[in-house]
Amino acid sequence: MPKHYRPAGKKKEGNAAKYITRTKAVSYLQISLAVFRKLCILKGVFPREPKKKVEGNHKTYYHMKDIAFLLHDPLIEKFREMKVHRKKVKKAFAKKNKDLADRLLNRPPSYKLDRLIIERYPTFIDALRDLDDCLTMVHLFAALPAVEGERVQVQRIHNCRRLSHEWQAYISRTNSLRKTFISVKGIYYQAEVQGQKITWLTPHALQQVLTDDVDFNVMLTFLEFYETLLGFINFKLYHSINVNYPPILDPRLEALSAELYALSRYMSTGRLPANPDSNGSTEDKETENNKENSKADESELRLAQLQHQLPANEPGALMHLVEESVADDIEDGPAKDSRNLFRGLKFYLSREVPRESLLFIIPAFGGTVSWEGQGAPFEETDEEITHQIVDRPTQSHVFLSREYVQPQWIFDCVNALLILPTEGYIVGRVPPPHLSPFVDNDEEGYVPEYAETIKRLQDAAKSKVLPLPGLGDEAQENSMVDTRSEYNEVAEKKRKLDMLEKQYHEELKMEIEGNTFSNISNKKADIPADVEGDESEEAKEDDPIKQAADDAEEISKSLMSNRKRGLLKAMEIGKERKKSKIETLKQRKKKAESSASAKKRS
Amino acid sequence: MGRPDGEDNADLSSDDSPWSDTAWSEDDDDEGSLSFEDSGEGSGLDSDDGPEEDAEDAEAGAESDSSEDEAGPRNTVGDVPLGWYKDEDHIGYDIDGKKIKKRDREGRIDTLLRNADSDTNWRKVIDAYNDEEVQITKEEAKIISRLLKGKTPHATVDPYPDYVDWFEYDGKGHPLSNAPEPKRRFVPSKWEQKKVVKLVRAIRKGWIKFDKPKDEPDYYLLWGDDTDTADNKRQGLSYIPAPKPNLPGHEESYNPSVEYVPTQEEIDSYQLMYEEDRPKFIPRRFESLRSVPAYEKALREGFDRCLDLYLCPRTRKKRINIDPESLKPKLPSKKDLRPYPRTCYLEFKGHSGPVRSLSVEATGQWIASGSSDGTIRVWEVETGRCLKVFNVGADVRRISWNPSPDKPVLAAIVGHDLLLLNAEVGDEETQMRTKQLLHIDESAPEDDADDTKPAVRWVKHDKFDGITLIHHKAASTVEWHSKGDYFTTKLESGLREISSISIHPGGDNVIVGSKDGKLCWFDTDLSTKPYKMLKNHSKDITNVTFHRRYPLFASSSEDCTAYVFHGMVYADLNQNPLIVPLEILRGHLSSDRRGVLDCKFHPRQPWLFTAGADSVIRLYCE
Repeated sequence: MPKHYRPAGKKKEGNAAKYITRTKAVSYLQISLAVFRKLCILKGVFPREPKKKVEGNHKTYYHMKDIAFLLHDPLIEKFREMKVHRKKVKKAFAKKNKDLADRLLNRPPSYKLDRLIIERYPTFIDALRDLDDCLTMVHLFAALPAVEGERVQVQRIHNCRRLSHEWQAYISRTNSLRKTFISVKGIYYQAEVQGQKITWLTPHALQQVLTDDVDFNVMLTFLEFYETLLGFINFKLYHSINVNYPPILDPRLEALSAELYALSRYMSTGRLPANPDSNGSTEDKETENNKENSKADESELRLAQLQHQLPANEPGALMHLVEESVADDIEDGPAKDSRNLFRGLKFYLSREVPRESLLFIIPAFGGTVSWEGQGAPFEETDEEITHQIVDRPTQSHVFLSREYVQPQWIFDCVNALLILPTEGYIVGRVPPPHLSPFVDNDEEGYVPEYAETIKRLQDAAKSKVLPLPGLGDEAQENSMVDTRSEYNEVAEKKRKLDMLEKQYHEELKMEIEGNTFSNISNKKADIPADVEGDESEEAKEDDPIKQAADDAEEISKSLMSNRKRGLLKAMEIGKERKKSKIETLKQRKKKAESSASAKKRS
Repeated sequence: MGRPDGEDNADLSSDDSPWSDTAWSEDDDDEGSLSFEDSGEGSGLDSDDGPEEDAEDAEAGAESDSSEDEAGPRNTVGDVPLGWYKDEDHIGYDIDGKKIKKRDREGRIDTLLRNADSDTNWRKVIDAYNDEEVQITKEEAKIISRLLKGKTPHATVDPYPDYVDWFEYDGKGHPLSNAPEPKRRFVPSKWEQKKVVKLVRAIRKGWIKFDKPKDEPDYYLLWGDDTDTADNKRQGLSYIPAPKPNLPGHEESYNPSVEYVPTQEEIDSYQLMYEEDRPKFIPRRFESLRSVPAYEKALREGFDRCLDLYLCPRTRKKRINIDPESLKPKLPSKKDLRPYPRTCYLEFKGHSGPVRSLSVEATGQWIASGSSDGTIRVWEVETGRCLKVFNVGADVRRISWNPSPDKPVLAAIVGHDLLLLNAEVGDEETQMRTKQLLHIDESAPEDDADDTKPAVRWVKHDKFDGITLIHHKAASTVEWHSKGDYFTTKLESGLREISSISIHPGGDNVIVGSKDGKLCWFDTDLSTKPYKMLKNHSKDITNVTFHRRYPLFASSSEDCTAYVFHGMVYADLNQNPLIVPLEILRGHLSSDRRGVLDCKFHPRQPWLFTAGADSVIRLYCE
């Protein structure tokens, strides 16, 4: 008798009834595996792990309810229709019935995913929570080469680019960017939208190569869903700040691949609550400033834009004004902080720095930015530029009025939420280590040196900036604060360094004495400060205490159940691993330091 | 059409006549005129009316011919050889049946003269059939000359004109069809009508649409107010959100601090690791942002994430984020469980080999120990003084006091034999009694560890006035019979090799020590399976023992430790025994990979004696 014998006529029950293998599911739905995959991806159905795998251990199981969920989806019928349509077209071509083929090709069956999105994410917050993968994927495809004949359609890549720019424009506009990190894989951003932390990865702005080891069908299906999702999310977000979506962009800027800038300008104009006349006049001024040859079609486009914005702004221009001012007051710490970080600073990007990323970050933190190239809002010769971002070995022509820093400075400032001193980031110098803002150093148990430096600077800034609240001329104040805080910082740094050194020596001593960190604290009291000679004695003295502690542990372990003991062991192993990792880090650090000092001496 | 026939006739008739030769030669003579005529006609071709004139000429010629034909009598003999009429004087018959007379032949001279007279004479031909002279017109002569040359009779005819295909093949299967026009060509089609009706219906009902589908906006406000929570429930099974990808740490930075970058040796050493253990990501350090290359695995990692999202089974797993301390069982405070042995109070030194066994006297005043150096020593507990040394000469494996305090007799297994000894302790009265006992009462002591076999012999020990029981087989344990309780419960310990056993004074609980370092507590009232299994020792358990008065028990092991436990057995059957580990007693040193060989409690005090392989006996007190 087979293992799972069921008498004839008896219904399945339990796991055998609840779960179905993938092969069976495919035949149950009467679709092909490819369509099944597509459906699963679009509907967000994933395999589940039954308690008992009736059909075997190496199979994928789906919950029967999930499969029924797929079965009742109109999408399945739509896919069939599309298949039939393909066949019809093929047949028409084969029979040289060109009329029919044309007619058919004119009206291909299509489907929309909005229903699926609302089904998967009933509330907006749900959608925001799941946005990480979506953004990463869209940004990845936006970085792919838009070449005809490749496996990804050019149009989709352009669409991805547009969507990502729209998203970035929103984030930048609402100052909700929180953290940035340049990794080897690309640039990570973390934003906070409606209380949700959203992290995404943008590949470096270099040509990606389409590799053969990935299945583009799967990725494109995911992308299809993500594109729609991001579109709707952008719509909702734009709607929430009273900007029309989809935005109409300045074609000139778009052509110059400064879409993001164009978008942010669009948004700022869209947000301007003043009456249309003044709005128009500022527009005109801007256009005059930026482009001498304002063409007729361009002005038409502007007009169209303005008309688009009118309905949104007309009903209560004043109300918007009030709202905005109120919002500014109410807005909590992080948004305000990030808005004020680069306030009053003017940046100029050199040709070689990653423009898209910096065009996104700097406005998100309140700075104004321009770049080398066409369509830039201001020239390099502008006297008001405070910082120029360059990434080259040497800078030949130097304006004395501004500082020349490497791009990492921006990222570090953003993470620290503080204008860092620029000495370390000057052109031609190897910048200080770039640290991840996503790591909780305390939890990790190891704090890199530069993180401590930044911490100290932050503390110093806090203590110094707070007593000087004022609403006067901000730029001036900022500069004052800067100089003062810098001075303080230097002093503080020195003091802290001394302290750190002392502490480090002490710790070293303790290590030599063979103490573990766990019992340092309770022994600190009775260890005399000047022990050097009687180390061995100490060790002996420690032994019984340590022994006692060990014994106590042993004893309590002996009564534990096997399972708990295993758990405890696993925990200990984990701790041990962490510790050893930190140990290696420390060793490497020591080695590096010693080699550096040796170099200095020689 | 008549004329060619006539000519034919003429040709035929003149086949065998000699005139043709002359005509040929004459023709040659007059070639100049013929060629002239030709050229004239050639020039006439250029003009439009040239050919027409020629045709008129030809017609005129034909008319004259026919008139000539009608005029003369015509021979009607038909197509018979003329030779038949050679000898007759007529040549045939005319249409009325009258004989046509032969004409008289001209003389040659006459002919010659006539020829010389008229220049048209060369054109005269004798028609032998009708027996008359016919004059050929110029045109006819021309035709004849052309025919003789193998040309077409009329100069106007082009023998090789360009081919003009007048037939239209387009859309015709066959160039010509003789079929009559079918009816359907004239009657309106029924099927067409049906089709039209169908189309009309489809259009009316909106199945066929002519206008392009309206462009609906791609995006709209999908999420309205989120306040209505009832509608915002997700349908279907519980949704398990996919775990978010890990956030990057310091080491993933393009410019990590030096300590995160592994050295070349470390990177090389990764090659020696198993593939699973190898770090997936090796940090690198770039001096500036411009030198960071594109990440090759970007697509691959995106794809892997996709696969994870739709192929990995998701289950909700409880994340154990608990303090390891909370895993440890809550034990009652040790202070409440006092007294119990904690520290080493005394060391009994004197043996020179591992102390294999020890035993405490019933009063608790004395202990006896047997060692593998071949001695049995009796010690006073309180002072640690060695009272007596019996040198038995062989390995003492087990030793035991007589449980009754008034007869201080020691039983020891020495080598293969059991030795009963007078310990010579206590006051004189008891000593006397003991002596008497050992001397006289030879059958009093009883061994309950081994079956009483007739093979046991009682022999008086010569040296220490004791008794030696000599077994055939090696005795392993010796215990004094106390009351005569027996237990016959079968216990399933699940242990590998049981080394020792001890019974609670209450009788219902048993502890068993095994050689795999596990200690089992059996509650025989509860089950035959262990109530508690304690894995505390790392090596073999050598002995386990209960305290007779205090709720204590102890185990000793080869790993140089002895454990003291609190083991409270309640009178209430509903309450399970309480077991609390209390103390680990250390102090013994390992020798020859053996640790503590025996442990015994003091009968009245919470004291524990341990016998070590390092030839020391230790007393642990409160």
